[in-house]
Amino acid sequence: MTKHSQILLGLLVVGSLLLAACGAAATPTPSGPVTIRWFVGLGTGQQPEQLEAQEAVVAEFNASHDDIELVLEVVNNDVASDTLSTEIAAGNAPDIVGPVGVAGSNLFTGLFLDLQPLIDSTNYDLSDYDPATVEFYRDPSGALTGLPFGVYPSFIYYNTTLFDEAGLNYPPHAVGEPYVMPDGTEVEWNYDTIREIGMLLTVDANGADATSPDFDPANIVQFGWHTQWTDPRGEATQFGAGNFVDADGNAVVPDQWADYYHWAYEGIWTDHFIPNDTYLNSDLLVQGNTFGSGHVAMVALHLWCHGCYSGTDFNLAVMPANNGVTTAKLHADTFKIMASTQHPEQAFTVLSYLLDEAANDLLLVYGAMPARFSLQGDYFTTLDAAHAQGVDWDVAVAMLGYPDNPNHEANMPNFARAVERYNEFQSLYRGTEGVDIDAELARLVADLQAIFDSAE
Amino acid sequence: MAIGERILATFKRSPKPPKSPLQRHETRWGLIFLAPWIFGFLVFILLPTLATLVFSFTDYSILHVSETRFIGLDNYTRMLSDPIVGQSLMRTLTFFVMAFPLAIFIPIGLAALLNSEHLRFRRFFTTFFYMPYMVPLVSAVLIWGGFLSPTGGWMNRLLETIGIQGPDWLRSTTWVYWSLLIVGIWGNGNAIVTTLAGMEGVPRELYEAAKMEGAGSFATFRHVTLPMISPIIFYNLTLASVGLFQYFLEPYVLFAQAGDPGGSTLFFPMYLFQNFFQFQEMAYGAALAWVLFLIILAFTAVWFALRKFWVYEAERE
Repeated sequence: MTKHSQILLGLLVVGSLLLAACGAAATPTPSGPVTIRWFVGLGTGQQPEQLEAQEAVVAEFNASHDDIELVLEVVNNDVASDTLSTEIAAGNAPDIVGPVGVAGSNLFTGLFLDLQPLIDSTNYDLSDYDPATVEFYRDPSGALTGLPFGVYPSFIYYNTTLFDEAGLNYPPHAVGEPYVMPDGTEVEWNYDTIREIGMLLTVDANGADATSPDFDPANIVQFGWHTQWTDPRGEATQFGAGNFVDADGNAVVPDQWADYYHWAYEGIWTDHFIPNDTYLNSDLLVQGNTFGSGHVAMVALHLWCHGCYSGTDFNLAVMPANNGVTTAKLHADTFKIMASTQHPEQAFTVLSYLLDEAANDLLLVYGAMPARFSLQGDYFTTLDAAHAQGVDWDVAVAMLGYPDNPNHEANMPNFARAVERYNEFQSLYRGTEGVDIDAELARLVADLQAIFDSAE
Repeated sequence: MAIGERILATFKRSPKPPKSPLQRHETRWGLIFLAPWIFGFLVFILLPTLATLVFSFTDYSILHVSETRFIGLDNYTRMLSDPIVGQSLMRTLTFFVMAFPLAIFIPIGLAALLNSEHLRFRRFFTTFFYMPYMVPLVSAVLIWGGFLSPTGGWMNRLLETIGIQGPDWLRSTTWVYWSLLIVGIWGNGNAIVTTLAGMEGVPRELYEAAKMEGAGSFATFRHVTLPMISPIIFYNLTLASVGLFQYFLEPYVLFAQAGDPGGSTLFFPMYLFQNFFQFQEMAYGAALAWVLFLIILAFTAVWFALRKFWVYEAERE
């Protein structure tokens, strides 16, 4: 063989190896257990203790099932959507995804399996669920894409030390209870009251509160109110549930939401009891973990953040009413089966296991309140052990009765694009003084309409 | 003689001499050594580029690959009704208008200072101005994010020492472009050094002749230095135009994909990126990318067309 032929042969071998490496994986043999892939990342589930619990669940499942091999696939939340999309595009989608909330699912609308036929064929018992929570997972086409797993009601975490220092009474623990002002007068627990006591609880570096003429808004060290870690829909839904799209597909800003944005904007830039973007991204407020900072007296937030604050000086209060209506936004997590699965029966067996046998272990590490009636008993005992100062968890249960419907994470046409646009609006009113809210809302509606219209 | 025959005759008149065995041997080995690069160029640059052109005429979606259809110019006409396209393009143009003069005149000004015969520690200053260019841009932008932070950032601390309450440089729509300009100025080292090299290449005799003619320093700079370094200015100007239309990394690092504050940094390339990777509308993103390419191409063509009016080229003299 000549030297040139040797080189050419070598190149061919290398090329063949490259092509072989790029080729499809070997087809599994028909015998043996069916592999079911469980994709974690669209919601919670990436913390070390969660990974450990999930791996234990997988090990226990595999030990008790000879016909199915459950494989865990954990991806960081910030790349989870992209990763799942790529897997779907490559025809390599997992079988089950979750825990995943409403917003996390929206990007993949239409790609989840309708569970109803499997529920019917296996006579799966739904009596342990509130029927309303089951219907929560039925999409507009009538497909049931999930079963309730964990719920996270929202309420107010209030800092007892800051209330004590201001000489104010604590906020109410029951819906309908009035708030007692320092002079003994009783007022309705609504957003006017939040503004009034919020300003008293907002203090600058010299100790002046936001009602004082000497108050310095450039040097605030303590705030009265914040709605933590949510988008403009999550903020505004507290004034009454709604959405940016109506039943006919038109872009709208519900009246109560427009009221909210005015209220919030005044609260940030005129009354100063709500932190602006500068403060939210400061060390003072722990880059947005306002409850955890201990420098915000009242924070509207979900149950999943009960561990966000290391102090013990907090308790829970009910959400205030707007025009007599109390609304507490709700988060809910579940597991979903991808419609592309080749093994729907086996995937449903895994899903049932996660919702039943493994539920307690997973709910504990996810910090979720069980959706199943039979599992709710022990849950608050566990929380009491974690917060020995005594927290009124009845507030959380009570707030489940005032969910936002439609949910603030509900789907919209061209979801990701619409979210991006309305988040722009939030960044604007939180970050820039002198914004004309009505004009910006009009611009938002026009842009959203164009975005909705461009949806196929 | 017919045209075809003339062409044939031309070819016949200039036959290439046959390659020697050594030349053939070298050509073959040259191609073998170039093969990895050619392969990489074809697979990782040319093919994806052509693929985006094809995608831009389809409704390709990563979630529905099997349902991909040819939709003609729909993605391009869609831009006309997409308000974000116009807004993001306008932001890009606005920032272009603000940043472009700085990208051209600051390097000229600083290079002129560095080229001054009166300047001491010239090498130190040249290195000093070039150094920022050597810092990886992502790291530099992150450092600038901390420097411009309204709470604890050095910028506002410095302003406080002279009694000025600094603004929120990065989260206010009023100030964010100025912040990006400051970051941009800091990274002008390469343009400064190339301009300086151009100035150093101007023949001394021209300065001496100008001096003998009684020209002052400004007149000398205006009539000798600037014309002689005009090719360098043209080079910087072209690169600055392309760079500003592709302006992406700084806002992306500072504000992730959000275009904060209030969408003011959602420049056209950011929107393009959003469409590709956030909205997963690859086909529409591809169409946006081709429109951006055409805009840059048009701008560059204009610069090249205007070149003959102001760029000094010795070979044309």
